Amino acid sequence: MPSLSPRPGRMPWLDPFVLPTVAVLGVVIGYPVVYTLVLSAQKFNLLDTSPARFIGGANYMHLTVDPIFWSSLVNTAIYTFGSVAISAAIGLALALLTENLFGWRFRAVRALLLMPWAVPFVVVAFLFRYMYLQDGGVINAVLLRLGLIAHPVLWLNNATLALPATMVANIWTMVPFFFLLLSAALAAVPGEVIEAASIDRAGTFSMIIYIKLPFLKNALLVSSLLMVISNVNDFAKIWAMTEGGPGYSTTTLVVYVYRLAFEDFNFGYASAIGVVWLVLLLGFAWLYLRRLRIP
Amino acid sequence: MTDPMRSRRRSRWLPRAGQTAAIVVALFWSLAPVYWMLATSFKTELEATRLEPTLWPLHPTVANYTELAGKSLPFLAFFLNSVVSCLLTAVIALAIATPAAYALSRGRFLLRGPVSYGILIFRMLPLVVMLAPLYLLLMTAHLLDSTAGLVVGFTTFGLPFAVWMMKSFIDAVPTEIEEAARIDGCGRLQILLKVVLPLVLPGLLTTATFVFMEAWNNLIYPLTFMTSLSKQTLPAALVLSFTGQFKTDWGGMMAASVLTTLPLMVAFFAVQRSIVRGLVAGALAGA
Repeated sequence: MPSLSPRPGRMPWLDPFVLPTVAVLGVVIGYPVVYTLVLSAQKFNLLDTSPARFIGGANYMHLTVDPIFWSSLVNTAIYTFGSVAISAAIGLALALLTENLFGWRFRAVRALLLMPWAVPFVVVAFLFRYMYLQDGGVINAVLLRLGLIAHPVLWLNNATLALPATMVANIWTMVPFFFLLLSAALAAVPGEVIEAASIDRAGTFSMIIYIKLPFLKNALLVSSLLMVISNVNDFAKIWAMTEGGPGYSTTTLVVYVYRLAFEDFNFGYASAIGVVWLVLLLGFAWLYLRRLRIP
Repeated sequence: MTDPMRSRRRSRWLPRAGQTAAIVVALFWSLAPVYWMLATSFKTELEATRLEPTLWPLHPTVANYTELAGKSLPFLAFFLNSVVSCLLTAVIALAIATPAAYALSRGRFLLRGPVSYGILIFRMLPLVVMLAPLYLLLMTAHLLDSTAGLVVGFTTFGLPFAVWMMKSFIDAVPTEIEEAARIDGCGRLQILLKVVLPLVLPGLLTTATFVFMEAWNNLIYPLTFMTSLSKQTLPAALVLSFTGQFKTDWGGMMAASVLTTLPLMVAFFAVQRSIVRGLVAGALAGA
């Protein structure tokens, strides 16, 4: 009988079925990544008439003394890890909250809680920008009416408040993802384990912390990794809300690289930052995946 | 004794009233902004920026929507540009990714490990790393300011994602059926098209929806690769028009936002059930 797998000794190097993917990714990702490495060692400005020239590590040296680079690194870390941690916590709370609902109640609540997920990032940005308005913004109006603030707050025009304010919008879009994945993971906790724990009279909170959370660990790790990657790449929400301002208070690395490359056309320096970023992110992903031991 | 699902769900950690209140708060948090967008889109420009916002449009009007078609900006064109480029991306990504996912799931070849890891790493690459070189690549290929160039950009994140997601769906299909088809004399391509694909169709649709959504959400590629306004996608057009037409016209802005949201909502809720299954398969399979 012919088997699906040929004998190991005759294993081919590649399967023709993966060739299109390998070829396309080689051109649209492999080549640009290699090209970035080359660009990062060059003085290359698209507006310059003089040709690009090799300057070795000068771009990288400049990077160490560039305060905007460091502040955007810190902003990226706060924006990414802050939003992901808070969204994961809210998502987990919602999953536990809706755990004992079933049938149409669960489906209805789930569909409504998932709604923000289907709102495009740019729309989220403008929607929150509108709600944050100083005059006529609904958030200021409600807070004033409740007496929580005395004067309208300039949420997005204040260097201290702008980053947290953009994070709130970001969290709003991200919670449904965690809620959905953690709900599914929660439903997969073996019933016997819960039974056994309730026979042992485990309290509500010890039940959550000692019985359920360990089962959710992997789901939490994987979903956070996915969201960290997507947040690190998040350009749309920040750009449409603040364009990185006021000053550089909401400038993350993506926004900074975009400005360098497409406002100053300084492709060489922008590429050097890209390379540093690449190393950081791959290091992070490696640590993460090793912890998970994904096959 | 009822089934285990039911008995497990009976465990309760909040009193019923507290739970209901918390759910109401959660629903308010997730729905209020969406309501605000809808309500504002039916308000006049004056009412939308009133110092005391009105909960319900005082003089509901559809002018914001009709003006989208009539004003100086071609919103219908933006809409079509978005639909075409995102659909093309989804179709192309799935067409290339499905055989690869099948090979990575079933095939036995020496570079299987490195190829799988490579695709996973490509998936994790920050977009900014590729921004400048991809721009230069498209410039050399004369693909700047074209739908084709935009689709190339979207493929950089759509394709690796589609391969991994499809692989997790194909992994779940039992191989016995394929063995039977193979004995009947079917070739590999035939098995993939006639036996495996019908079984993973929900997964295929879910993956396509995700690729479509991610492309629809993308702002940085259209903003950098497209130079003429008439070829822009909706998200980029919203950003570009905000500096002009919509500076103070929040009603118009919200109407355009509703238009941008609608296709994503429809796609999302059409496949919502398989999204749940697909995401669980995709994200938990490795765990």
